[in-house]
Amino acid sequence: MKKRWISELLAMVLALFLLSGCGGEQVSLDTGDGSPQITDTIVSNTQLTTNDPGKNPQSSGEPLEDADVPDAPATTDPEQITSSTTSTAFSMSEVPAYSGAAYVAVNGNVPYFTSDDLTTNSFESYSSLDYLGRCSTAYACVGQDIMPTEERGSIGQVKPTGWHTVKYDCVDGKYLYNRCHLIGYQLTGENANEENLITGTRYLNIDGMLPFENMVADYIQETNNHVLYRVTPIFEGDNLLADGVLMEGYSVEDGGDDICFCVYAYNVQPGVTINYATGDSALDGTAATTGPVTLPTVQNPSENSQTGTSTTQADYVLNNNTKKFHLPSCSSAEDIKASNREDYHGSREDLIDRGYDPCKRCNP
Amino acid sequence: MILIVCLDDQNGMAFNHRRQSRDRVLIERVEELTAGRKLWMAPYSRKLFSNENVVVSVGYLAEAGPDDYCFAELDDVKPYENQVQKTIVFRWNRRYPCDLRFEFDLSNWRLVASEEFSGSSHEKITMEVYER
Repeated sequence: MKKRWISELLAMVLALFLLSGCGGEQVSLDTGDGSPQITDTIVSNTQLTTNDPGKNPQSSGEPLEDADVPDAPATTDPEQITSSTTSTAFSMSEVPAYSGAAYVAVNGNVPYFTSDDLTTNSFESYSSLDYLGRCSTAYACVGQDIMPTEERGSIGQVKPTGWHTVKYDCVDGKYLYNRCHLIGYQLTGENANEENLITGTRYLNIDGMLPFENMVADYIQETNNHVLYRVTPIFEGDNLLADGVLMEGYSVEDGGDDICFCVYAYNVQPGVTINYATGDSALDGTAATTGPVTLPTVQNPSENSQTGTSTTQADYVLNNNTKKFHLPSCSSAEDIKASNREDYHGSREDLIDRGYDPCKRCNP
Repeated sequence: MILIVCLDDQNGMAFNHRRQSRDRVLIERVEELTAGRKLWMAPYSRKLFSNENVVVSVGYLAEAGPDDYCFAELDDVKPYENQVQKTIVFRWNRRYPCDLRFEFDLSNWRLVASEEFSGSSHEKITMEVYER
C-alpha cells in the first residue's frame, strides 16, 4: 500500500514536471476563480483532452520536420524523425495582421505534431468547453473508417459563444456567422457536437477552412491513408469570438509527402467590423453603403454600470487575486472564490486608478 | 508540348509544394489520352501513374519534345508558355488551399473541347482543351 502511494506521488510529480517544461510564451489570464488559464499561446500537445481512451494526444515526442525542398515535398519518415530546433509552440506573434488572404502559413507550414502523435489508428477527440463555454482543440487521426456515410444533420440547436444571427448584403449568403465545425463534417461526421462548433464568419468557413477540409478528405478517399488533423480556436483573453483558428494536417503513411500544412485562418469578414469580446458587428466604412439587412444585436451595459470616462457610482465585484472587476451580474463574478471576492460601490475610474482591469466579458 | 494541369476554382495548382487533390478516374483519363506518346512529369507525380510511357525528369518542362505530353503539378509553367501548343485543363470544381496558381491567360487561347465526367472522389471534373 505504501509503495503504491509513493508511486502515485512520483507520477504526479512527473506529470507536473512535464507540463511545466513545455515551451511557449505563456500568458496567465483571469478565469474568474483565480486559477490561471492559458489562452494567448497554444502550447503544443498540452492543452488537449481526449475522449478516446486508446489514444492520448498529450504526447511529448520530437517535433516533425520538413526539409521542404522547393520542387518536391520531403518525406518525413517516422523512423527518421530526429531532434529539431523547430518551435513546438504556436504564438500569435507569428501571425501577421489580416491583409486580404484568408489564411497564412505559420511555423514554415510544418504542423506541431511530434513523433509520438504518429498513428494509423483512427481517433477523434474534442476538448471540453472552458469556463466561458468556449471550444478548444479538436484533434483527430482521420481515416475512412470514421468519415461520415450519411448526409449532415441539423446543427442549428447549438449556439456557440459569440453567436449572433445577423445578415449583411456584403456577405455571401447574407449571414455573417456560421456554426463552423473545427473538424469538418466531411472528415469525422460530427453533427451538433458543441465541442466542435465555433462561431465563425462565412469567410472563415468557406475561404479559410473548407479548402483544407476538402484537400484532406480527397486525399483520404483516394489513398485510404490517415491524416493527423488538429484545429485550435484562438481566443484573446475572455473574448467570446475566436480571432482565428490554427489548422494542422499531416499524412501519416507517406510521412507528410502529400498532406503537410500548418496555417492560421482569420475569423474576419471583409466589409464588416467585429467586436471579438461579444460577437457584435457593424459594417465598416468600406461597405457602409450596402447596409445590413438586419441590424446587429447591441449588448448594452447594465443600468448599474458605466463605461467610458464617467465617474458615476455603481456596484462592482472585485477579484483581488486577478485584479479584475466585474458587473454583479457577470457569470465570472459568481465563480470568484470567497477569499478573493470583494463587493464594491464606487466609480469605475477609481478602480482603474487602483490597478483593477475591467472584465472583458461583461465590460463593466 | 501538350500541357496537362489540374486546377481548382481559383486556378490553383498546389499548396506547400504538394498537389491540391487527386482522383483515380482522372489519372486513368490522362493515361488514355497519352497512350502511345511520351508523358513527361516530375518525380513527385510518378506514383500516380502506372503506364509505361511515363518519362520522369526534374527538368521535364524543358526537356519535353514538341508533341510530347507534360503533366505538371508543382511547377510554375508560365515560363514555358511559348513552348506549349495545346493545354488540357482538368477542373476539380472545388476549392483547395493554394499558393501556386496557373498563370496562363486562357482567354487568349481557343477552347476546342469541353467534357464533364465523374471522378472517384469528385462529383464533377471538367476537362477543357485549349489550342492557340
